Amino acid sequence: MKKYIVKRIIYMIFVFLIVSVLMYLLYNLIPSDPARAELEGIKTTLRPAEYEQRYQNLREQMGLDDPILLRYARWMGFAPEKESGELHGMLQGYFGYSNFFKKDVTEVLPIRMKNTMIINLFVTFLALAITIPLGIFCAVRKNGKFDNAVQFMTIIGYSIPIYIIALVFIWLFAVKLRWLPVSGMETPGSNYQGMQAFLDRIYYLTLPVLIMTFASLGGMTRYVRTAMIDALGMDYIRTARAKGLREKVVIYSHAWRNALLPVVTVIIGWFITIFSGSVIIETTFTLNGMGQVYYLALRNSDYELALATQMFYCAVSLIGQLIMDLSYGLVDPRVRVDK
Amino acid sequence: MKKKLVSMLLVAAMAVSLVACGGTAQNAPESSTTAADSTEAATEEAAAEEAASRPNRLIYGSTTEISGDLGNAWWTNNASDKKIRDLINDYNVITFDQQGAMLVNSTVVDGDIESTENEDGSKTFTVKIKEGLTYNNGEPITAADYVAYALVAYSPATLEAAAGVVADSVVGSAEYQSGESNVISGLRLLDDYTYAITIVPEYLPYFYELSYADLSPLYLPMYAPNATLTVKDDGEGVYLDGGELNADDINASRFIYEGRVSAGPYQIKKVDTGTLQAELVINPNYAGNFEGQKPTIETLVIVKTESATAIDSLKTGAVDLLDTLTDGNLEINPALDLVDAGGFTYVDFERNGYGKLQFACDFGPTQFPAVRQAVAYLLDRNEFANQFCAGYGSVVDGPYGLCMWMYQDSQEFFADNIDSYSYDPAKAIELLEADGWVLNADGSEYSGTGTRYKEVTAEEAGTYALNVTLPDGRILMPLHIMWSSSEDNPVSELLVVMLANGQQTADAGMVIEQTVMSFTDLLNYMYRDASVDAKYGVPTYGMFNLATGFTQLYSQAYEMSMKDEYMGTYNNNFIKDEKLATLAWDMVYGVEAGDDATYLDMWQQFMDRWNELLPDVPLYSNIYYTVHADWLEGYDQSSYWEFEDAVLYATIANAE
Repeated sequence: MKKYIVKRIIYMIFVFLIVSVLMYLLYNLIPSDPARAELEGIKTTLRPAEYEQRYQNLREQMGLDDPILLRYARWMGFAPEKESGELHGMLQGYFGYSNFFKKDVTEVLPIRMKNTMIINLFVTFLALAITIPLGIFCAVRKNGKFDNAVQFMTIIGYSIPIYIIALVFIWLFAVKLRWLPVSGMETPGSNYQGMQAFLDRIYYLTLPVLIMTFASLGGMTRYVRTAMIDALGMDYIRTARAKGLREKVVIYSHAWRNALLPVVTVIIGWFITIFSGSVIIETTFTLNGMGQVYYLALRNSDYELALATQMFYCAVSLIGQLIMDLSYGLVDPRVRVDK
Repeated sequence: MKKKLVSMLLVAAMAVSLVACGGTAQNAPESSTTAADSTEAATEEAAAEEAASRPNRLIYGSTTEISGDLGNAWWTNNASDKKIRDLINDYNVITFDQQGAMLVNSTVVDGDIESTENEDGSKTFTVKIKEGLTYNNGEPITAADYVAYALVAYSPATLEAAAGVVADSVVGSAEYQSGESNVISGLRLLDDYTYAITIVPEYLPYFYELSYADLSPLYLPMYAPNATLTVKDDGEGVYLDGGELNADDINASRFIYEGRVSAGPYQIKKVDTGTLQAELVINPNYAGNFEGQKPTIETLVIVKTESATAIDSLKTGAVDLLDTLTDGNLEINPALDLVDAGGFTYVDFERNGYGKLQFACDFGPTQFPAVRQAVAYLLDRNEFANQFCAGYGSVVDGPYGLCMWMYQDSQEFFADNIDSYSYDPAKAIELLEADGWVLNADGSEYSGTGTRYKEVTAEEAGTYALNVTLPDGRILMPLHIMWSSSEDNPVSELLVVMLANGQQTADAGMVIEQTVMSFTDLLNYMYRDASVDAKYGVPTYGMFNLATGFTQLYSQAYEMSMKDEYMGTYNNNFIKDEKLATLAWDMVYGVEAGDDATYLDMWQQFMDRWNELLPDVPLYSNIYYTVHADWLEGYDQSSYWEFEDAVLYATIANAE
């Protein structure tokens, strides 16, 4: 097992490096000039000499005139920085400088990561709390009226794009009923502290959490239902029933535990997405999370920020894959992961 | 055992989520009450209840990010950050009034600014600051604080902090910035409340020369927290004594929120980049703007809103004011519906700029003024503006804004001299034929269908890729305009329908070939920026669609200059016309300050020449709308008078 994990980690490092090269090259292929973009808005207020000086300063600061491989090596921390002569890259924990926020990326991302994680944790727990019992219930009463109704609803829910769901929910709950706020993360100018601040945050997050939960119900419910139907059709279920076990025991102790294997991979996948923000929801609700900051970075040619975000996702998904593979063995001893 | 463990974990997860649900549900009424402060205000019932005790607070919805960079104008701030910056800083020596006119800030300056012409051609402005001005922390503001601004702005440390301030207009500032000298010889601290600033002869005369005297107070401890710097003048110029500035401290000053020392109508209470909000409260020590006006709205909250839901936010009271709405169908009409329904009102004003078709005037068919004029005649600009702005826009006939005093004083001149290029396809054909676009591709006389050609010289032909060389050596240029347009741009979509694919364009024998690209790509081609990629350095597109705007210090000197160093970056029409360039330059660098009549005369001549050469075709100039709750009274915004100016005069009805 240990040998397997070490092997996988070495493999992950290798993949991470390849991805980093590809991503860095791809971002640098984009025909943009972030230094010029930075000055575009105030150009008419600057004299040509002033513009040129600012432009050259920014190019120098952003290292835009250096060869791309050297820039990559500096970014990763393989080559020393121009000014300090020291290694100062991703490998040393420096993820770059955000030109938009005028701060190091490590100062920009944590608060957004926290926001995204709070939202996604709520969504994940809520969705699992609804979909697992619902999927099991539908599987047990397969083709019944309730099951058919749920199937119909989940297909609709699964098919509607999340931005449509978002607009409908905003119209209903925020504009018509006025139960919940249209957007934002806290009451403007409230300055609440402690529990009041917490409740205020919950109030503002309710609508986006509801929407994200609603949008995720369809797929997971159907997944659990299918896994349970497969499990309930197995011979050992018939045996269990023949032994005279109570139906609850048959369903939850025998069928559900065996249906877990396919379900658990999806669930772990969900937990991994806790770190990744929804661009659409975060943008629509002005939630300052990872999805929004990534979108903002791309729109403003803030490529070091975008790259850092993407590399973080890359690391998370590599680690997630490892956890997922290990979890197979944990859930089902027949699956061995030490080879 | 392992299975059991995982099952238990899952159950626990479900239980936690249920508890979370339960908790939320149980607390919902309380939390609703907590957050209702902002949402209830918009409902009619609540409005009646709150009428007697409405918070003295205005919530401003901004569609740009609040990044929290409050650095001054040496750096580039985004719109929200700039708004915060402008609200917390004032006391500039020179300012602008509601009509965009430059004036001496009489709240700050004692008497007039004296100007003295020196023998070497330089000019010295002597400024006496009024006594009694203070920062928000109560510390007095003296002339040393104004001088400190220049000493920090021009310092090598600020340059290192990537601020990029050019120090060449003030005598001795270039030597100071390069580190050759630690003194700015052209800046003198004459006494506690008087400073003098000397401008190099190369920058004179200048129509806006008063702007050279402009400085604002700078609180030195914020820029050098680890040193006790003082401004000194031993008779040779000003310098900083007691330590040195460094780039890290200067950069860090941009992100100081708590206890930030400033001298504007408001001061920072909170900047939260996590929730994208900034809260400002009145600076009790503020002496007023140039008219002595002080704000009465106690608290301003600037929050990020999304364009898609901004109107809903206004409707539900999540924000109280939406600034400068542009989109007629998606923003202005729904906002005006709100106004009609009651509870809201609006102010509208003209955009000081316009959307345009911009031509490259040095190659291909668009190098010929007749072709540019023909394009203008082939487009029904009034209809275009009407459709694009959904009725909230107008058309201009030159590089000006309808709000400019020069335009308003030139109505008669415009009526007599400026061609509005009203839609007239026949006139377009007439112009093209007169200019020599009378051939087919094989050199025969134009048949009346298909693309027109013109015989051109080798110099005119240049490297234009679509030229045809006949066996007899004649070079023919097709009337085929390569058009670069940005993606997801409704202007481009409308131009395709009304111009590029219009029957009138085909009938005129003109082809307009659209290439859709990112806006960055468009700029690269427009600037011919070979530093990004060599392909951009090759003239490829003759027409671009984008927009432009103007500041109070109107100038086209660099934009129309024939000097090589301005080509691309400023003169991105690549137009080289001696008369146009001279007029544009002399208008600001050849007219003495205060000589409005000469300036206006040159401005009109410039407009006339520009209108004839038509380097751009102006397409539309928006009418902007700012919509706000009707309990905000006295709010009057205009093209030159932005939210940060107008809010000083506004009050909240029945405020607490």
